[in-house]
Amino acid sequence: MIMKNRQNKKAEELLEKLEPKTSDNLLTLKGVGKHYGSIIALRGVDMVVDPGKVTCVLGDNGAGKSTLIKIIAGLHQHDEGEFNLHGSAIKLKSPRIALDAGIAAVYQDLAVVPLMPIWRNFFLGSELTTGVGPFKKLDVQKMKDITKQELSDMGIDLRDVEQPIGQLSGGERQCVAIARAVYFGAKVLILDEPTAALGVKQSGVVLRYILQARDRGLGVIFITHNPHHAYPVGDSFLLLKRGRSIGYYAKSEITVEELTAQMAGGAELAELAHELEQLGGHAEELAEAEAGAAPN
Amino acid sequence: MSSLTASPSHKKSAAEQDERVGKKSTLSILLGRPEIGALVGAVALFVFFAIVAPVFLSPASLATVLYGASTIGIMAVGVSLLMIGGEFDLSTGVAVISSALSASLISWYFGMNVWVGVVLALVVSLLIGFINGIILIKTKLPSFIVTLASFLMLTGLNLGLTRAIGGSVSSPSIADMDGFQSAKAVFASSVSIAGIDVKVTVFIWIALVIVASWILLRTKVGNWIFAIGGDEKAARAVGVPVVRTKIGLFMAVGFCGWVLGMHNLFAFDAVQSGEGIGNEFLYIIAAVIGGCLLTGGYGSAIGGAIGAFIFGMANKGIVYADWNPDWFKFFLGLMLLLATVVNIVVKKRAESSK
Amino acid sequence: MGKPTWRKLAITLAIVPALGLAACSSGGGRAPEPEANGGGGSVATTERIKVAVITHAAPGDTFWDIIRKGAEEAAAKDNVELQYLSDPDGGRQSQLIEQAIDQGVDGIAVTLAKPDAMKGALKKATDAGIPIVSLNAGEDRFKDLGVFAHFGSNEQLAGEAAGEKLKEAGLKKPICVIQEQGHVGLEARCAGVKKVIPGTEVLYVQGTDMTQVESTATAKLQSDKQADAIIGLGAPFTMTLLKAKATANSKVEVASFDMNAQLVQEITKGNVLFTVDQQPWLQGYMAVDALWQNYRGGFTIGGGQATLTGPAIVDKAVAEKITSFAEEGVR
Repeated sequence: MIMKNRQNKKAEELLEKLEPKTSDNLLTLKGVGKHYGSIIALRGVDMVVDPGKVTCVLGDNGAGKSTLIKIIAGLHQHDEGEFNLHGSAIKLKSPRIALDAGIAAVYQDLAVVPLMPIWRNFFLGSELTTGVGPFKKLDVQKMKDITKQELSDMGIDLRDVEQPIGQLSGGERQCVAIARAVYFGAKVLILDEPTAALGVKQSGVVLRYILQARDRGLGVIFITHNPHHAYPVGDSFLLLKRGRSIGYYAKSEITVEELTAQMAGGAELAELAHELEQLGGHAEELAEAEAGAAPN
Repeated sequence: MSSLTASPSHKKSAAEQDERVGKKSTLSILLGRPEIGALVGAVALFVFFAIVAPVFLSPASLATVLYGASTIGIMAVGVSLLMIGGEFDLSTGVAVISSALSASLISWYFGMNVWVGVVLALVVSLLIGFINGIILIKTKLPSFIVTLASFLMLTGLNLGLTRAIGGSVSSPSIADMDGFQSAKAVFASSVSIAGIDVKVTVFIWIALVIVASWILLRTKVGNWIFAIGGDEKAARAVGVPVVRTKIGLFMAVGFCGWVLGMHNLFAFDAVQSGEGIGNEFLYIIAAVIGGCLLTGGYGSAIGGAIGAFIFGMANKGIVYADWNPDWFKFFLGLMLLLATVVNIVVKKRAESSK
Repeated sequence: MGKPTWRKLAITLAIVPALGLAACSSGGGRAPEPEANGGGGSVATTERIKVAVITHAAPGDTFWDIIRKGAEEAAAKDNVELQYLSDPDGGRQSQLIEQAIDQGVDGIAVTLAKPDAMKGALKKATDAGIPIVSLNAGEDRFKDLGVFAHFGSNEQLAGEAAGEKLKEAGLKKPICVIQEQGHVGLEARCAGVKKVIPGTEVLYVQGTDMTQVESTATAKLQSDKQADAIIGLGAPFTMTLLKAKATANSKVEVASFDMNAQLVQEITKGNVLFTVDQQPWLQGYMAVDALWQNYRGGFTIGGGQATLTGPAIVDKAVAEKITSFAEEGVR
C-alpha cells in the first residue's frame, strides 16, 4: 500500500466498532428506503442475512433490486431505515469500505477484466508481493498457485490460469469472481443476477457455487428474477415490486409455485384474462401462459 | 478450453491437478506474447533491406538505424504504457520540444549553469503530464480531446515564449555556458563499441524499455495498468486506484519527453520552436505495431520498442536502398501497414493454436 | 495526500530557487542590453502610416525573423506603424489581407507563394486604393495582381548560382537535402542546382524532427560513397548536416542556403564552403520602404520589374566581413 489514506482509516474505525455479537444477525435491514430526488426507488424493506444462509431477492425489472444491492455494497447510502452490520448501525460510504467490512459484490458485468489472465484478475487490487522497497515485485508463482488451488476447491479444474479470463464462459467467469470474493474473506456475498445471461447447464453450475460459498460460512444474497433458480438454493425470499417489499418468507413458509405466482402478479394476470375475454379472444392462450409461467 | 467438473466437495491439490493436465509448450507460450507479431515483422523487414541494400548490414549503418529508432523508441516506451492503460496523448511531440526549450531558455535568460535548466525542465515535463491527467480526470473527456487541446496550447507556448524571451523563433545558443559539456556527455554523446560510434540514446532507450517492462509485468502498478486499460469499471470496483495510476502514466510520458528533449537540446544546441509537430503519431504507430491495442488493456513496452525499431529500419532502409525519394512517404506508410498486418496475422495464429 | 507530503513539497519549492541562484554560469547566457553608442538620428517627418506585412511564414522558421528585422528597421526610420502577420495556408493568408483592408491600412506587403489564393483579396485592396508590394515569392506573377513592386530572390536562380559555385570547386555529385517535401521554393532551389550539375540527387528529411534529419542524412552519406557534396536549404539544417558528416566519417563538402550567425562562423572556419544568401533583411526593409516612398511622393520603384535582393554568395572571404552583422541577426 502506498500510504494510509483517509478511507482506509475510516474502514478501520468502522471495523473496530463492529464486534461480532453472537446473538445478532450478520446483516439486518429494517425499513430501509432510498429516493433519488422525487423518485422513490426503495421503501420500507426488511431483510436479514445470516452466515451460512442464502437470502434471495426476487423481483422484475424496476423492482428496486439494484438499488438495494448498491446500498448494501456501498455504492449508495440509504435515506431511511436502519442498516446494521453485526448489530451496529452503519452507512457504507464507498465500495472500498464495504469490501474492508467484508461485504463483497459480484456484478453481472463488472466482475473481471477480460484481457487479463485469470490469476491477475483473481488478485487484482490485492496483489501479493515479495521483496522490499523499490524492488518489490509480484509473487507470481504464489498467486498462480493460490488461484489454481482456490478454483479447484470450488470445483473448477482449469488447464492454465495464465489464459485471459475472457476466454472462459460467462458462468465460469462468475465462478472465478465468486471464488475471489470467498478467498478474500468476504462475510457477505452479493450476487447480482448471476444466471440472467446463462443457459440452463451453466446456471446449474453457478447455483452449485452459491451452495459452496454458503457451506463455507458466508451469508449470500442472491438477486434474481427467476424463482426457479432461487427456490432450490434459498433459505429466505424477499420479493420486491416497484420499490416495496410484497413479501418476505422463509423457505418453509412458501412453495415454488406460490413464489412464482406472487412474482408473475397472479392478481394482474386474472384481471387481464377477464379483459381479454370481454374483447372476445385469447382466454385460452392466456390460461396456458399462466400455467406455463411456472415450469421453465 | 477449461473444464468445469461439477463436484463441489471434491478438493484436489494443485500437484494432482498438474499431472492430469497437459503442460503448455514453451513455443506456444512464446507465440501468445503480444510482441511476437511485431518481432516477425521486424525480422522480415530486416532481411528484406539486407537483401535489397547490402550496405544496410554494415555496423555503421546499423548504428544509424538504431539511433533513428531510439529517438522514436524513447517516447514509444511511455506512450505504450499509457496506451495499455487505455489513454492517448497527442501532445507528446511538442512536449519534447517544450522540455528542451524550457531548459534552454531558463538557463540562458538567468545566466545559470545549464544543469539547473535541465532539472527545471524535468519539473516542467512532469507538470505537463500531471495537468494532462488532472484535466482528463476532472472533465471526463476522452484523452484524445484533452491532449489535442494541450498539443495546441503547447505549440503556441513554444512559439510565443521562445520569441518573447529569446527574441527569435529558435532558442539562443547555450553551447558556451557552464555545464553544457557535461550535460552533452550525459544526453548527447556517443559510445564507441568495437570501433563504431553508437549514440547514447540507444542505451537510454534500452534501459527505459527494461524498466518499463519490469513495472508492467512484475509490479502491482503494472497489474493495475492492465486492469484500467482493460476494464476501468471492474478495476475501480475491486479497489484499484484509477486516478493515481492514470496521472502517474501521463507523468511517465512526461518523463520520457524530458529525456528526449534533453537529447535534442544538447545534440543540436539551438532548438527550433516549431519542431516536434507530427511525431506524436509516430510514437502511437510504434506502440500499435508493437502489439498495443488501441482500446487498451493489452500490449508491452518491448513491443513498442520493436515498433520503433521497425520504423527506424523502414525510414533509413529506404535511403540505403536508394529508392526514389518522391515515393518515400508512400513506402513508409506501406511498410508500416505490412508490419501491422503481419502482427495481427501472427497473433490470430497464436490464439487459435491454443 | 497526507500532511508530510505537502511539507516536503514546500521545502523542495523553497530550495530550488536557492540552488538556482547559486548556480550561475560563468559564460554565455543573455548578453546585457547594448548601450546606445552615438546613434539616434531623426525619424522621417511624414505622417505616421500603417503598413501590414503578411507572409506565408510557417511558425518557427528562423529565416523569416531576418525579414521581420528588416521590415521593423524600415518602419522605425519611416515613422510607420508595422503589423506583421503570417499563415502558411493560402486561404488563411488571404483572409489576413482582407482583415488588413478592413482595418484601413495605408499599405500592404505580401508574399505571393500561392498567387491565385491572393487574387481576390488583392483586388479588394486595389479597389480600396491601398498600394501593394510583394516580397520573397511571386516574382513572375506580381504584375497581374496589381502589385507595383517586388523584392526577392529567384529560388531557381539561387540554385543555379549555388550550382555554379560548386562546379567551380570541381564537385560533380552533390546531395540536395530538402526538409519539407512539396515545398515549392525548396524544390526550385534543388532544381536550379541540378540544372547546372546534372549529377545532383535530392534527399528528403523530416524538418520537424532534427534527430531524424541527422540520422537520415547520416544514412545517405554512409550508403552513397560517390557523393562529394551535401547542401542544406536552411542554416539550422546545414548545422545538422555537419554533424551527420562527422558521424558518417564522410569527406563531402558542405554548402548551404540562407544564413545565421552560427553558419557564418562555420564558413569562416572553413567547415562550410559557402552559402547562398537572398538577403532577406533587404526584402523586409525594401518592402516597407517602397510603400513609404509611394506615400511620400507616389513613387513606384523597380520600373515594373522585380528588384532582386539576391542571390549573394557568401564564401569565406565575405563571411569574415559580415560576422558581426550575422551576430546581430540582420544577415
